[in-house]
Amino acid sequence: MSIGAQTRHYPITKKLTRMNMLVSGLALVLACAAFITYDVISFRQARAHGISIQAQIIGDNSVSAILFSDVKTAQSTMSALEAAPNIVSAVIFTPDGKPFAAYWRDEKGRIAPPPRLGPNQTDAYWFKHGELVVAHKIIFQGNVTGIVVIRSDMREINERSERYAGIAALVLLISLIAALLLASVFQNDVAEPIVHLAKIARIVSREKDYSVRATQTGNGDELDLLMDSFNRMLEQIQRGDDALREAQRELEQRVESRTSQLADANRRLKVQNQEVERATKLKSQFLASMSHELRTPLNAILGFSDLLAEKTAGPLTDKQARFIGHVRDGARHLLQLINDILDLSKIEAGQLEFHCQDFLIEEALPEVLSTIRPLAMAKNIAVQQKLETALPIHADRVRFKQILYNLLSNAVKFTPKDGRIDIRCYESGDSISIAVTDTGIGIKPEDQKVVFEEFRQVEGPSGTTHEGTGLGLAITRRLVEQQSGKISLESEFGKGTCFTFTLPKGQIAHRIAAGVGDLRPSVTSASNSAPKKPLILIVDNEPSARELLASYLDQDYQIAVAKSGAEALEKAKQVHPDAITLDVLMAQGGGFETLVALRKEAETANIPIIILSIIDQKQVGFALGATDYLVKPIRKTELLEIMNKHLPPDGSASSPILLVDDDIKALELAEETLRNAGYETESVQSGTQALEIIAAKDVAAVLLDLLMPGMDGFQVIQHIREQEKLKALPIFVITAKHITPDEIEILNRETEAFFHKTGTWQEQLTAEIGRVVHKQKLAKGVGAQ
Amino acid sequence: MRQAFMLESRNVCLSHREICLGVLRLTVVLLLCVYSVLNVQAQNSKLSDYDIKAAYLFNFGRFVEWPSGGESSNGGSFTFCILGHDPFGQNLDHMLVGRTINSKAITVKRIATPQESSGCQILFLDTTEQGKLNKIIEALDDEAVLTVSDIPEFSKHGGMIQFVEKENRVRFEVNLEATQRAGLTLSSDLLKVATAVMRQPR
Repeated sequence: MSIGAQTRHYPITKKLTRMNMLVSGLALVLACAAFITYDVISFRQARAHGISIQAQIIGDNSVSAILFSDVKTAQSTMSALEAAPNIVSAVIFTPDGKPFAAYWRDEKGRIAPPPRLGPNQTDAYWFKHGELVVAHKIIFQGNVTGIVVIRSDMREINERSERYAGIAALVLLISLIAALLLASVFQNDVAEPIVHLAKIARIVSREKDYSVRATQTGNGDELDLLMDSFNRMLEQIQRGDDALREAQRELEQRVESRTSQLADANRRLKVQNQEVERATKLKSQFLASMSHELRTPLNAILGFSDLLAEKTAGPLTDKQARFIGHVRDGARHLLQLINDILDLSKIEAGQLEFHCQDFLIEEALPEVLSTIRPLAMAKNIAVQQKLETALPIHADRVRFKQILYNLLSNAVKFTPKDGRIDIRCYESGDSISIAVTDTGIGIKPEDQKVVFEEFRQVEGPSGTTHEGTGLGLAITRRLVEQQSGKISLESEFGKGTCFTFTLPKGQIAHRIAAGVGDLRPSVTSASNSAPKKPLILIVDNEPSARELLASYLDQDYQIAVAKSGAEALEKAKQVHPDAITLDVLMAQGGGFETLVALRKEAETANIPIIILSIIDQKQVGFALGATDYLVKPIRKTELLEIMNKHLPPDGSASSPILLVDDDIKALELAEETLRNAGYETESVQSGTQALEIIAAKDVAAVLLDLLMPGMDGFQVIQHIREQEKLKALPIFVITAKHITPDEIEILNRETEAFFHKTGTWQEQLTAEIGRVVHKQKLAKGVGAQ
Repeated sequence: MRQAFMLESRNVCLSHREICLGVLRLTVVLLLCVYSVLNVQAQNSKLSDYDIKAAYLFNFGRFVEWPSGGESSNGGSFTFCILGHDPFGQNLDHMLVGRTINSKAITVKRIATPQESSGCQILFLDTTEQGKLNKIIEALDDEAVLTVSDIPEFSKHGGMIQFVEKENRVRFEVNLEATQRAGLTLSSDLLKVATAVMRQPR
């Protein structure tokens, strides 16, 4: 095995030679060994036979000598053995084993005792101590007469063996040489093709060149077949390889073309993307400018029609008043439509921002109800709310109110007279559900799916379309969904509809006290450092209404509350309020009685009393001594304006309010609004003019338009704020521009308030300006003291 | 050094053993020699000349061929005859018990006169018959009887085989002319061991 391991890496020629040598050598050695062995054995047998014959002759010739004890004769007979040089000794024994006569070739030696032969055995021979010993029984006339033992040396046999071994070695040597020569001749037949094949295979494997071919011997033996198969295999591989290369090339080409296509597509996509971005930007710009451009003229229409309706420009005939009313309603509808469309666009563009916070529903609900109730009252629809206690939600407060308002106004719109609207709020898992149920006309099942789609209005039973933009529910749905809520409806045609929406539950743990009086600081505990605010007594039996009113007023006034007429009288005497708001529809004791009672008492007779009521009985109210009369729902600005009017700051306004707007109509509208509220105004049409006036004289406040040619509103603000003494100058901004979040931040920081040129800004503006001017006066008063 | 010593000691040991073996062998050989000498002497002392002569008589019968006519007369047996004094005694009879010559049983007959010798194959003449020798030879008259005797000059007086003593051994002489006249054929082997053979004068 070790030899095999050493020679395993030998080339095949060597292996073949080795094999040949080994095989022929082994065969020869075996043959020679067999031959020699055979020869030696047969020679020995022949020798034994020959000596046996000699022993027989000697025995026969010695019979008489033995019988007649004639040793000499026996010895002379045996001396004939001298002719055989290999016979060392011969001894004749008598039958009883005694040596009778002996013959020695060299000198006399010791006589070994005769061998014991069997009764029927006459001859025997064996080899002992390098000698051949032959024993022969002498039988004469059937009787054993004696035994002849002849010892012969092996010299002859050994010489013969040596000679044979020499001949065998010679034959072996010659045969091996002949075999080597023959093998070298014949092995080429076998080895050469294999070596050639191996070389080709190496070339193929190393250089991957499948075009080379093994040269066939053409003699049709197995090697030739092997080469043929190898060549065929190479051919197949080459074909496969070629095909593979072809496929690879195709694949590469395809990849390349795909890559270039992809790159093209990417480029196109990039361009398209840029276009889309540009389009989006354009759309935003368009939205902004449209909101500006549409609202500006509408503002004028609304504002002036309002002024006309209020008869500030002179008395109107009934017809004129009716027409102005139509104009105003149409304009408001148009404004609503524009607002809705803009809202929808903003939602779709993802530009609508939600400022989500945790708050209680019961805090937000009254504000909406105060707006809805008058509408419902007009159709004698009862609005009932069923609130579970303290339901906090997480939502944008303004948007929540918008949702609720949309649903409620919708319900009012589609509910016939004497109907009913229920608002239910309840907890459902992680969210709060708010359901608005009406007893209205209902929605057909086939229409139920489409009511949330844009510009879809369901036809009423009479086939007439209802007033509205058709966007309310679409906006509502989006507002709900964008605040992680859901909206759904259940309806039975002709019987009513129930809209339910959900919003995430909020985290408010503590319950905010329902009573405003409990929450607000008491009258006497007002901060000493702050200038004393006027005190207003709110008289209303409904806690939500009290809260709403308090929230409107508590920024500028101190608040005291009374739940009933009796309490109102008592409180009025105690705290001497500067003004009283009175709900005339209280459960215990009519409002009007309270009014009369207050007027009777000397202490309270001169306190301005403003009646806030759902029903419009102004003539009765004024007749009974009301200072003013407001019909619910009451807007904050409206209330503030009224309060301002009836709680006049001491001393008239000395400084004018500077109005800056490039639009003369807008300027005129603002002038009219503020002058009606009792303020002096001064108007300029550009930022630079405004700065000149501010530098020249003292102004109480600035009302600034943002979009102006030349210096725009932001630049004006910047210039004002750069001057130390003008750091505190109140600035109000009014604009039709769509304001970006960044701009909102600036405006929040630098201005008192900012308004859109919508239908309600006049009242808000008047209220805000009143607040600011009031504060300035108080500051002056403190300073005088 | 140690190795060398060991080798040496071993050599010593070997040589010592060889010596022992040699002594042993020598002793054995000596003992054997003494024994064999004693044995031979014992045999010699035991076997008398006539015992040997008796054996020879028997052996002569094995090397001689008698003419076929004489055999049938005595009923198929081989007869030894002793004429006159019997020197063998019972020893001859004992020796021949159970033996045959040419597949014939052997009988021993002691006779007083030559006339009684018909049917005998071998006739032994004791030395006491020396005076009557010529008469006896004449009386046999070339009958096919092998005459054997230890009478001196027996063969010269027409006897066939005569015992002689030579080198203290019992040997014999043969008168081939007498045997041929009697029609007997003697084996060459017998003649080979005879001390002398008298032939017909040529």
